[in-house]
Amino acid sequence: MADMVGPGCQRGIPGNVEMPLAVERLPNGNTLIADAGDEAGFGSEIIEVNPVGSIVWNYNEGLKFAHSGRRLRNGNTLITDTTNNRLIEVTPDKRIVMSSDEWGGGTGKLSDSSRLHYPNEAFELEDGTFLVTDRNNDRCIQVDRKGHVIWAFEKELHHPHNGNPLPNGNILIADSDGNRIVELNRKKEIVWSYGDGKPETLWWPRGAIRLEDGNTVITDSKNHRIVEVSPSGKVLWKFQTEHVDKFYITHVTKEGTFLIACTDGHHQVMEVDRTGTIVWLFRNYRRPSPIYARLTNGFFKEVGEDGVPRHWVFAPRLSEGGGKLIWDNNNKPSPCPGLEYDRPGGLFLQQNITVKPGATYRVGAEIKTIDVKGAACIHIDFYDHLVGSLYRDITDMPSGEYFTGTNDWTHDSFEVKVPPKATFGQLRLAINHSGKVFVKNIMMNPL
Amino acid sequence: MTFDRVMSGKRKRQCAKLVEISKDTVRQAFDKFKPEELGITWTGGKDSGLGLWIIRQVCQEKGIPLPKAMIIGEGDEFEEIETFVERIKKEWTVPLEVCRNEDVLKAAHYTLNAPVKVMDLNERNQAELKRIGFDGNEFPFEAESYVGNHLMKTVVFNDFLERNHIKGIFQGLRWDEHPARFNDEYFELKEAGYLVPEHTRIRPILHFTEKDLWDTYAAFQIPYCALYEKGYRSLGAKTTSQIAMEGVPAWKQDLENTEERAGRRQDKEKAMERMRKLGYM
Repeated sequence: MADMVGPGCQRGIPGNVEMPLAVERLPNGNTLIADAGDEAGFGSEIIEVNPVGSIVWNYNEGLKFAHSGRRLRNGNTLITDTTNNRLIEVTPDKRIVMSSDEWGGGTGKLSDSSRLHYPNEAFELEDGTFLVTDRNNDRCIQVDRKGHVIWAFEKELHHPHNGNPLPNGNILIADSDGNRIVELNRKKEIVWSYGDGKPETLWWPRGAIRLEDGNTVITDSKNHRIVEVSPSGKVLWKFQTEHVDKFYITHVTKEGTFLIACTDGHHQVMEVDRTGTIVWLFRNYRRPSPIYARLTNGFFKEVGEDGVPRHWVFAPRLSEGGGKLIWDNNNKPSPCPGLEYDRPGGLFLQQNITVKPGATYRVGAEIKTIDVKGAACIHIDFYDHLVGSLYRDITDMPSGEYFTGTNDWTHDSFEVKVPPKATFGQLRLAINHSGKVFVKNIMMNPL
Repeated sequence: MTFDRVMSGKRKRQCAKLVEISKDTVRQAFDKFKPEELGITWTGGKDSGLGLWIIRQVCQEKGIPLPKAMIIGEGDEFEEIETFVERIKKEWTVPLEVCRNEDVLKAAHYTLNAPVKVMDLNERNQAELKRIGFDGNEFPFEAESYVGNHLMKTVVFNDFLERNHIKGIFQGLRWDEHPARFNDEYFELKEAGYLVPEHTRIRPILHFTEKDLWDTYAAFQIPYCALYEKGYRSLGAKTTSQIAMEGVPAWKQDLENTEERAGRRQDKEKAMERMRKLGYM
């Protein structure tokens, strides 16, 4: 019997908000939240919450890592179902009345023969067409309900996350991997931009909104802050929490407060006023999986009925729909698991382990890689009491070697000092981009 | 053994100041513990060597002999280190104990990479394997692997403390040598645990950067192992340590912009850049 500290819990429970990504305040005062779901890929949904925090509506049929839900003028909800590469419109009684899968005679093709690839955001325009931010196609497009491309901007963008329409007809786009915000006119000219490409200025901004006074409020995600800049690019206001919080989308309410989707920081949606005071907050999250008293089944001798090593979680949330868990059955003395992956996202095999703040641990394992185009490694992520990661970026997490290409079995070990605010660690085998990585004999012990 | 460069008087004074900070820590340790309750870890490398030299200065000032020192024999040592250790041991009269996990060495027939069967080990070593979660029947004899490191270093270290009733042990760790060391303190109490005796770790040279360290060696003509002249920057086991820059003495390498514990894979930065592309985390 494994020694567990935290309780186990079911995955995909309706109303549990694991990773809020988009948020908007509806005219009736309720708040619409897009939840991307948990790390194992379950629980993505769109929920509508009233001011006292009751969930009054939700939609979760088949969603995978959904990034946005927007209420349309006809009362339906437009959803970017990101990992499923589709855009759907659902009625209040949860019927799908439009799906991009039906475009192009059921092929899912748009009028320009392309397909949506990892769409992140979609807004309804005045004329009833949609402005879609099609992230992995590096573009923002305007399409009608039948998939006709009316307008497209598909150059100079690098994984944009949120293009939204401005009253003057222009479009404000968060060019996330370009570390900048750009404003385009309909002639596709960049008429305004902020960000010099350096992460100190903007680091992976995932959204921007234009205020009535002409200033722009930017969610500067990896700098875990909100910044307001003037048209001339002067920083006028900043908001930041004490913990690391990769804010996703900010929405301005008619009262002038900001609603912020706090992604995986503390898994909450909050509303702040201009003094930085939190005036409303919604959080419905609990620790998602068992937390073990110590590393358990590090030698992978026990395998569950689902083919996943027992006590380990296979986590494809960020894998963009690809990747699988594999086994090297020829390994002696017993088979060992691995991850096989085929695209630029990330895939993980992980376990939550109790740690003592301030203590130093040694983590070690043996790793083998085959044709890894990105990188593979073992790393550990630490979480605070509200399950917020203590790191701004994956490469800041304590890790062993970063393996690329093909490497035969290699001993890999590293020491890690547990940060003071950590309440548990998540030990992961990680792979980013294509290839295979195998692991065996994982150990972790206080020094 | 000389450094072929001239140091400014100012830099020498800076080094002397760094040494003074270390001496203060050592003096505090002698105030806290009796000399026979103290121990010194020594590897023959540059860090513990500087520590030993500083502790010796304080002992001379107090007119007392050096506390007992330990060196861990992993079964994969450089001859140059052995020669150096022998020489210093004599010159400085170091009461040195060479500590080995004989049981593991025997089970490996004193052969590197030979398989060690868990059932061939004594009870203590088997218990230690269980403690770190080792769940296999055998492992290769290799000091730098996780299991090897634990049995050949950690276990030997704890055993030395236990046998000699050591309460405070000097270590030659520095903040800048490894990210996990950033928050280390000069004195750290380790509570007693299963197979671990209670002890205080004392780290007098924490504040030295790699450059400070080599400048101090030069300023005070402190002896060091000849391997550093050949280009090694960090010495571990013989078969897993690598020359960072062939023929370029450690102190002449770009200490501030390159890694002391050079990784096996040079394109780490590129790999990190690709990992960063993931964005979400």
